Amino acid sequence: MNCGQARNLFSAYWDDEITQGEREWLESHFSSCPSCRREYDALARTLEALSDLPRVEVSNGFADRVLAAAKRRSPAVDRMPVPVRRWVPITATAVLLAIVAAMVMQWSGMPLGPRHQGSVALEQPVLTQPQPVQTEPATPAMATVTSPDWVARAAGVTDSLFDHSEDVEFILDPVTLRKGRAHTVVRVQPEPARGEQAVITF
Amino acid sequence: MGRVAEGDERAFTELVRRFQGRVTNLVSRVLNDREASEDLAQEVFVRVFVHRRNYRRGSKFSTWLFTIAANLAKNEIRRRVRRRNWFSLDALQEVLGDSSPHLADPTEGKETSMQRQQLQGMVGKAIASVPEKYRLALVLRDIEGFPYEEIGEMLNIPGGTVRSRINRARGILKRKLVPLMRREGTQ
Repeated sequence: MNCGQARNLFSAYWDDEITQGEREWLESHFSSCPSCRREYDALARTLEALSDLPRVEVSNGFADRVLAAAKRRSPAVDRMPVPVRRWVPITATAVLLAIVAAMVMQWSGMPLGPRHQGSVALEQPVLTQPQPVQTEPATPAMATVTSPDWVARAAGVTDSLFDHSEDVEFILDPVTLRKGRAHTVVRVQPEPARGEQAVITF
Repeated sequence: MGRVAEGDERAFTELVRRFQGRVTNLVSRVLNDREASEDLAQEVFVRVFVHRRNYRRGSKFSTWLFTIAANLAKNEIRRRVRRRNWFSLDALQEVLGDSSPHLADPTEGKETSMQRQQLQGMVGKAIASVPEKYRLALVLRDIEGFPYEEIGEMLNIPGGTVRSRINRARGILKRKLVPLMRREGTQ
């Protein structure tokens, strides 16, 4: 080994973290190399100067001051909230909006999803105005709801919700109920209606 | 520490009394600032109390404590360097510079307690002039006497890196201090 390798061992030699073989080699090197010996002595004096530094002491009442400061700071952490699940209010709002929208659409008679159509049809008897258009004479199967007071009430409600500037008249297909679902009963002859005609099926 | 984690104030005060000297000494030597060291040491203990529930039972308390101390000291060094850079590059030079003329004064005669204090002041300044990443390892090892493995845990670096940093820091310090000690020895 040379002087460079010897100097690489100085720190470990000081810390006593060196193998027995390295120690013996280094000590024999010191006896033959005054330069390395001086370098090591300089390092040793430096590290002794570090360990000779006086210990810094704290002033009286330090622990009490620390405790007071810690108690002042601590409540903030104790009150640290449990992590908020931000998706909860967003999801709740979305669900609420969806419910409101569904209610409005249902109330207004706008079409919903396929599962809702039957129930809407069953819950709301279909409104039919007396037919000014000339069509085939109504068969008994073509049930129409013509209750004047119901029409009046329904008209009162719908007037406030819809624009009736383009009213259309409706002819209803008869509806039967099987296993909880509404089905159209086609008994009407497909005679073309004269005038505007819209057919709503459920 | 288990009692401290449950909020036992007496246990916390005991803990502070047991470690206050070492923590303050570490911070003081790393910053070379006696006045600021007590404030920073206080902050170390306050953080221990505030984050007491984060302490992992079974791990060594002193390692956790000195990890906090080392991090705060590191932040403080960086804050100071930034501030000095902002106000004056000369001020940084003053911290890093060699103040040997004080020791080389031939009128001072034999070693007195004042000379000893001056030498200690020079040693303190020399430590402060070692780059931060080497300095913390050096103080933890050569002033506080922690084993390499524990220093590695505190600084979150491998043991080999700790050794090389300390080796490097010792070399830097030797080059700064040996001329001063030679001058003093020849007086």
